[in-house]
Amino acid sequence: MIELQISLLITSIIGAILAGYVCSTIGVFVVRMNLSSIGFCMSHAAFAGAAFGLMLSIDPLVSSLIFSFFTAVILGPITEKAKLESNVIIGFLFSIMIALAFIFINLIPGQAASGVSLRILWGSIFSVGYNDILMLIFLSSILTIFILIFYKELMAIMFNRKLAESSGINTKLFYFAVLFLTAFAVSLSIRIVGGLLVFALIINPTSTAYQFFYDFKKIIIFSPLIGIISCSIGFLISLYTDFPIGASIVIISAIFFALAIFFSPKRKKIK
Amino acid sequence: MVKKNYIISLGNIDTTYQGDKIPVINNINLKIEYGEFVSIIGSNGAGKTTLLETINGLLTYCKGSGLIFNKEILKNKYEIRKKIGYVIQNFDIDSNAPFLCKDVVMSGKTGKIGSFRFYSKEDWDNIWYSMSLVGMIDFANRPIGKLSGGEFQKILISRALAQKPDLLLLDEPLSNLDFSSRKQIEKLLNRLNKKDHITILMVSHDLSFIPSGCKRIIVMHKGKIILDGNKNEIINSKFIENFFKKEMK
Repeated sequence: MIELQISLLITSIIGAILAGYVCSTIGVFVVRMNLSSIGFCMSHAAFAGAAFGLMLSIDPLVSSLIFSFFTAVILGPITEKAKLESNVIIGFLFSIMIALAFIFINLIPGQAASGVSLRILWGSIFSVGYNDILMLIFLSSILTIFILIFYKELMAIMFNRKLAESSGINTKLFYFAVLFLTAFAVSLSIRIVGGLLVFALIINPTSTAYQFFYDFKKIIIFSPLIGIISCSIGFLISLYTDFPIGASIVIISAIFFALAIFFSPKRKKIK
Repeated sequence: MVKKNYIISLGNIDTTYQGDKIPVINNINLKIEYGEFVSIIGSNGAGKTTLLETINGLLTYCKGSGLIFNKEILKNKYEIRKKIGYVIQNFDIDSNAPFLCKDVVMSGKTGKIGSFRFYSKEDWDNIWYSMSLVGMIDFANRPIGKLSGGEFQKILISRALAQKPDLLLLDEPLSNLDFSSRKQIEKLLNRLNKKDHITILMVSHDLSFIPSGCKRIIVMHKGKIILDGNKNEIINSKFIENFFKKEMK
């Protein structure tokens, strides 16, 4: 086990819990609105952005936010208006982002494939700072307030966007709000979970919750809970085994999903 | 001369889908008065659904002028939609969809209630009433994906009614219903039109699905209105006899 100062340990576990909360909460909307591939592309853009930040010795959080917001600005209108097959654009942007990320990593001063550059690939419990915690608390609050205030609009849109639009809801506003909150969540969680795996934390807990409930309210409550539990267990595994924290979290959330499929009441055959 | 008060007033409307050059509906002129019950009939691809979605602003017309409640559609689409109940043509719903029937019905009211306000007791009473109108009150806590096609259709109708609309746009609302449910919904539509004075514009591709309360029929073909008049005259016209020969049989 790694010897850690108690304050660093507390900061890290709080960071992991908050990352679990924001990612798996926004995941509820990403999965239901079929934004998975956009989010996937966005997480790799955040990864490229973080690498860019490290290359220029600026805060990787700022650069990853800029990159993922840029992706949201590009992909949002294209997929929304269906001007172009969204998968084509996503595949195109995804490959560019991953290529850029590796170029930036290669250009990071010092040894490219070690230390700080690898942390953005698969995350690290050492990389969470006080500012990251504050930002995650800020995003968690925004997300919670957003859901509490606009729950009825969000639920109408999740059921059917066209029907929601026809009853007088401006669904475009919510679509872009979800996109930007996803970009925000991905950028803030990248240091903990890592650029390659952060998107799994958005998809896995939500997909697990979807296996058990028919009530949208319960999914909004249980998805973050599963995300927080996955992050906490993943954190402890990483602490005791020195496994990368991102990989540990994602493996735990994937195990939860596999168990959920196995035990899901929705998948039981009627006798 | 008495000036007529129209709820829908469309003049020379063309609607084209994004990326297409040929309009799906072409040079549509249509006036519907408050309190009318009108059916639109026509074969598949005639432009019936496109016309409904042009009226509630889901599709943007590229030519002509459109007024609903005396307001320009494109400039006031969110405002006018709050007064329009829309029943979409039956769509596939995931059997594991995480929504209860009562939440789906409630979602119809969301636009009208507006943001920064939670559902009140009055709103919920309205939901139970709308569900009871279509005989679905016992299904309130059932998952929406577990309903049959007909039950789902009734929930969509109930959702539109929960909105307390002034105008109902119904896209083939009776197509998935069995005989007794169809009669029940026909009776309900007649009542809503006669007693509650709700204007109804209903799309159907089958003449036998037109409720007795409907007094006017519009026939569409290849994106144009080719007949518009009294229900009995249209049903008995030679044109319809030839045009819908198969269905009439």
